Amino acid sequence: MIPLPMLEQDTSGSEVWEAESLLLEQGKPYVVEAPSGRGKTSLLSVIYGIRTDYQGVVSIDDRDLSSFTSKEWSLIRKSKLSFIFQGLELFDDLTALENIQLKNRMTAHHSDERIMEMARVLGIDPFLQRKAGILSFGQQQRVAIIRALCQPFNFLLADECFSHMDRENSLTAYQLIREECEARNAGLILTSLNETGLPNIDHSLRL
Amino acid sequence: MRLLYQILWKDHSRVHLLGAFLGTLAGFVLLLAGIQFYMDIKSVLSENRDLLDPEYIVINKKVNIANTLGLTGGGFTEEEIAEIEAQPFADQVAAFNSNEFPVQAYTEGDQVPNFITDLFFEAIPDQYIDVKSEDWKWDPETGTIPVIIPQDYLNLYNFGFAPSQGLPQIPKGVLSMINFKLRLQGQGRGNYDDYNGRIVGFSNRVSSILVPVDFLEWANEKYGYFKKNDPSQVIIVSKDPTDPSIIRFIEEKGYDTIREKLKSSRMNIILKLVISFLVFVAAIIIGLAFLVFLLSLQLMISRSSEKIRRLNKLGFHYREISRPYILLLILLMAGITGLSLLLTSVLAGQLHQRAEAWSLNISSSLHGIIFATALGLILLISVANVAAILISTKKLCK
Repeated sequence: MIPLPMLEQDTSGSEVWEAESLLLEQGKPYVVEAPSGRGKTSLLSVIYGIRTDYQGVVSIDDRDLSSFTSKEWSLIRKSKLSFIFQGLELFDDLTALENIQLKNRMTAHHSDERIMEMARVLGIDPFLQRKAGILSFGQQQRVAIIRALCQPFNFLLADECFSHMDRENSLTAYQLIREECEARNAGLILTSLNETGLPNIDHSLRL
Repeated sequence: MRLLYQILWKDHSRVHLLGAFLGTLAGFVLLLAGIQFYMDIKSVLSENRDLLDPEYIVINKKVNIANTLGLTGGGFTEEEIAEIEAQPFADQVAAFNSNEFPVQAYTEGDQVPNFITDLFFEAIPDQYIDVKSEDWKWDPETGTIPVIIPQDYLNLYNFGFAPSQGLPQIPKGVLSMINFKLRLQGQGRGNYDDYNGRIVGFSNRVSSILVPVDFLEWANEKYGYFKKNDPSQVIIVSKDPTDPSIIRFIEEKGYDTIREKLKSSRMNIILKLVISFLVFVAAIIIGLAFLVFLLSLQLMISRSSEKIRRLNKLGFHYREISRPYILLLILLMAGITGLSLLLTSVLAGQLHQRAEAWSLNISSSLHGIIFATALGLILLISVANVAAILISTKKLCK
């Protein structure tokens, strides 16, 4: 349940920023399609607690985000919200597998076998032992996706996570994401620059 | 978590940390060795003489021909004593009491050569005497009079008289075991009593034959018939024996004292100065090294600031992120503590060996205060650094 706030930027005609209030429900997939500069990343960052420069009130389960302590935020980011960052936020010096394990060891959510399986599905299993820094951006995106799936969550925030993948790879990754979300009965907020044409999206938000 | 350490330790500056480590180590060794040295010297000095404590200065009037002819008294009048008491350097003043009756000492028995000699007694309150002995008390029941004689007397005998006369030298312990008789003579023929005398100690401070004050008061009451003399010696306790006004006063008044004592106490002050300078330098080095430590860790954190933000975004709490830094700090601090204690004890061992050659009794092991100081300082530095680490990682996290 996420009623949304007002941002201090040009948001005229936005379904999100101009709305009196907005409720995002757990278990439902949302897609946010908008050109650059409309605040896609801002929206996700506000929800994730990274950006606090907004007016209005954002709450999760009726609790105002601004009331969360740093301890609660790290708990939320380990168990309630997961983020596939547009900038990926991988550690270049660690291998792809280590980047994934960094999260999975913290949460102990998936077995090593399941991680390998996901990597195989996304076609990056040959690159797991390579340093993340030398992988292509598309490969890195898939590493970041798997990492984000290595934890429990009620909402998955995916910020243009298919931008450097071809149609086929995107669909496979999307399928994996949906599977994982359904397994957790979790919601999904997926942003994209252009129309995704992804299947089974019930709600589309215009920024 | 191994990966966290792998990520965050990557950004350390080896040169900075090594510099801070060596600097702190050097400061610690200097400080601890300084304290160790000070404690050693202090124990050596206080063993030989009470040099580090307030100085006891015994003064007397210069003997001149007028004294000899009996024109002027050789003692301190009450006014003169009051004047000494009024001096700022004199924290405590006590006059010597003396016997007001004739005393003779003699030996009996076969073990020791017989001798007989006229004697005198003086007494000052116990707190001025540098000999602490169980037997230093007058008990009229037993009738044994404890006596303290100057160490110099024994030295005169052992190193001057005995070798030249072919007599055996006498150790302190043996002399203390010799019983001799003391005859206290009252007015009138046949009015005397014999008591046992026993030497209970040797004084470095007082050049006189001392008996307990309460005994002398009792004996003067019982046997005394001389005209009461002014005390010929006065003992002054001065907290600051380097005060030049002491020497000036003594010279102005024409009094006399053993100047060596004042000289040696000056040496002691110089020693204190040197040690405190050493401690001061060590404190500065430790302070600077502490700063370098603080800055190195802060630099390391700020170099990793992007990574720290990233970890925070992935759900790591700033306390978890601080852990690799804190562990690094603890490892370095433990290294410094261990190494500085090791080096200090090596130095102490060296000093011990050298001191033994001069037959000075210096401990080869570290004093307890060394451990306490090292741990206290390490704790202080660690706590300050941990606080700084937590503050700066918290700043980077949301």
